[in-house]
Amino acid sequence: MSRVINGLKENGTPYFFLLPCIVILGALLSVPLYKVVEYSLYDNVIVERNPTFVGLQNYSNLLTDSAFWSASVNTLIFTLGSVIGHIIVGTGLALLVNAEIHPRAQTVFRSLLILPWIFTAVVVALNWQLLLNPFGVINYGLTEIGLIDTPIDWLGDPAFAMWALLLISTWRGYPFIMVSFLSGLQSIPKELYEAAEIDGAGFFAKFWHVTVPQLKPVIYGVALLDLIWTFQLFPLVWLTTGGGPGRSTEVLSTMTFRQGFVDFEFSQAATTAVSILIISAAFTILYLRNEKQKI
Amino acid sequence: MSKIEIKKLVKRYGEHQALHGIDISIPQGEFCVLVGPSGCGKSTTLRMVAGLETISGGDVVIGDRVVNGLKAKDRGIAMVFQNYALYPAKTVYNNMAFSLQLSKMPKPEIAKRIADVAEILELTPLLDRKPGALSGGQRQRVAMGRAIVRDPEVFLFDEPLSNLDAKLRGQMRAEIKRLHQRLKNTIIYVTHDQVEAMTLADKIVIMKDGRIEQQGTPDEVFHDPDTLFVAGFMGSPPMNLIECFATDKGIKLPSVEIACDMPSAVRPGDKLVFGIRSDDIRPAEDGFEGVSISANVNLIEQLGTENLVHFSLGPDEMIGKTGGRTRITPNQEVSFTLQMQHAYFFDPETGRRLR
Ligand SMILES: Nc1ncnc2c1ncn2[C@@H]1O[C@H](COP(=O)(O)OP(=O)(O)O)[C@@H](O)[C@H]1O
Ligand SMILES: [Mg+2]
Repeated sequence: MSRVINGLKENGTPYFFLLPCIVILGALLSVPLYKVVEYSLYDNVIVERNPTFVGLQNYSNLLTDSAFWSASVNTLIFTLGSVIGHIIVGTGLALLVNAEIHPRAQTVFRSLLILPWIFTAVVVALNWQLLLNPFGVINYGLTEIGLIDTPIDWLGDPAFAMWALLLISTWRGYPFIMVSFLSGLQSIPKELYEAAEIDGAGFFAKFWHVTVPQLKPVIYGVALLDLIWTFQLFPLVWLTTGGGPGRSTEVLSTMTFRQGFVDFEFSQAATTAVSILIISAAFTILYLRNEKQKI
Repeated sequence: MSKIEIKKLVKRYGEHQALHGIDISIPQGEFCVLVGPSGCGKSTTLRMVAGLETISGGDVVIGDRVVNGLKAKDRGIAMVFQNYALYPAKTVYNNMAFSLQLSKMPKPEIAKRIADVAEILELTPLLDRKPGALSGGQRQRVAMGRAIVRDPEVFLFDEPLSNLDAKLRGQMRAEIKRLHQRLKNTIIYVTHDQVEAMTLADKIVIMKDGRIEQQGTPDEVFHDPDTLFVAGFMGSPPMNLIECFATDKGIKLPSVEIACDMPSAVRPGDKLVFGIRSDDIRPAEDGFEGVSISANVNLIEQLGTENLVHFSLGPDEMIGKTGGRTRITPNQEVSFTLQMQHAYFFDPETGRRLR
């Protein structure tokens, strides 16, 4: 026992300084986490003084609710669509800004292209609402060049809302991929491209045989991280379509919010939140395993 | 297999001019080594021949074609890089097969070619490995194998051995030489190591500051240097080079006068640089003929079969040579014989050899 105390005396100083941080973080994380799981096992929490314990009833309600399944499908589409969009646009732009142009132009383009990442979700949402509005610039432009006859309410039409949302989410999220890939691209030795050039590789062969294999470790980790973030993304969806029109862009995060703060069904909201938690945790474990392998 | 002509080659990087008109003519099958200190423009020259660097002026001819405008892949060249540049995600087999696959060669033929080359380079047991699982020497051989399978007209090497340890470097040097004798391709080989240049080359091109100082056979550049720079660069230890004045009978060093035959252009009183290799400075006891001087020994550098004797001659330090079993020790006054028939004289202003 005294050995443990002596050990702590000798090596404990850093942990002592970390203590306030650990306590606060722990309280902020574990209490709500515990509460949410607890709420999901009761009925009528918060709105009534004495909620009734119902066990897994809320979960069976959720699993038989068709709204939950349609929100799950939407979440899947939104998450996969966004991540794929981020990767395609992010990779393309990373390749472009990595090209050998004038150094000053390079800096300007790199800075400009990171901008979507810097704005808060509210600003992004409002701007895109203005742009995609039936009387907005995008409709004006598309009618002018004759691609569409009449303006389309991109965010208000069930047929287009998810696509519009994916466009916004792609725009919002590609800089993270771009920046990660850019540092990856810069660490690829130039000689590999030169060797490939002498071997007769064109642009696509070089991309496929040199760039992609060299980026592979980065791609997997970054895509998984993006997946985790996008999966539970709330503000962007809520502020642009609000899950609508109807339920056409309802994802699990907006569904949780709606159940809680619109319908005041806090127990059901907690249950949905726990389902998000479980899936996110699964992805996170995958991610951490991957990071560990790299070390 | 083709000859290479490099004509008045110029390279500019913005304001900075890296090459000032390089002329080299390499007959078919010749092993040409570009050598010189770091930054003299060897790699730039090689990369312009390869097509990896644009040409600011002059021509590169491979075979009968001016290749200035041709892409690297259309020039019929293969290149071995200093850090090998193997594709890390591909197996040894696929590293070698890549160019053949891109040129749409039928699979069985690719397999046969690689089997042949792997046999020559003793790579057969390694074909399924990735470069990360190979030693430095093995990677080096894969890089050569990748170049050889393409059966190029011309091989280009950019310091291919400088990442290897001394022993392996010696082995690979012999292997490259053997390969050249077998394949008889035209080769341009870049190195900063003059020993590598001497042992490998049919022709050595010595460069400095983007210009050619001298080109010729190893024998010519070693025994008949045109400039002070070449004399100092080729050979290890470097040639002894000492400033002196001409007299009517020979030269006058700060501490001693030496009688010798002088180049006809030299007048008494001219300032000169006197050069003599350490092979031509022997202790008197070794029994060579020449001019005797006496000097104090500072240091004996033991190389095994022979010893280098460092000694002071006035303010100058010189290096002589003797057998490995010498009994000379430091701080001893020793009589040395200078074989003045092998002395060189240079103009200190222009660096040109005075003949
Ligand atoms: N991409 C480049 N941009 C500007 N200067 C360069 C570039 N590549 C080489 N140089 C310059 O050209 C000169 C020759 O370089 P190089 O051919 O690499 O020398 P080395 O003989 O060591 O191979 C050097 O002064 C170097 O600084
Ligand atoms: Mg170089």
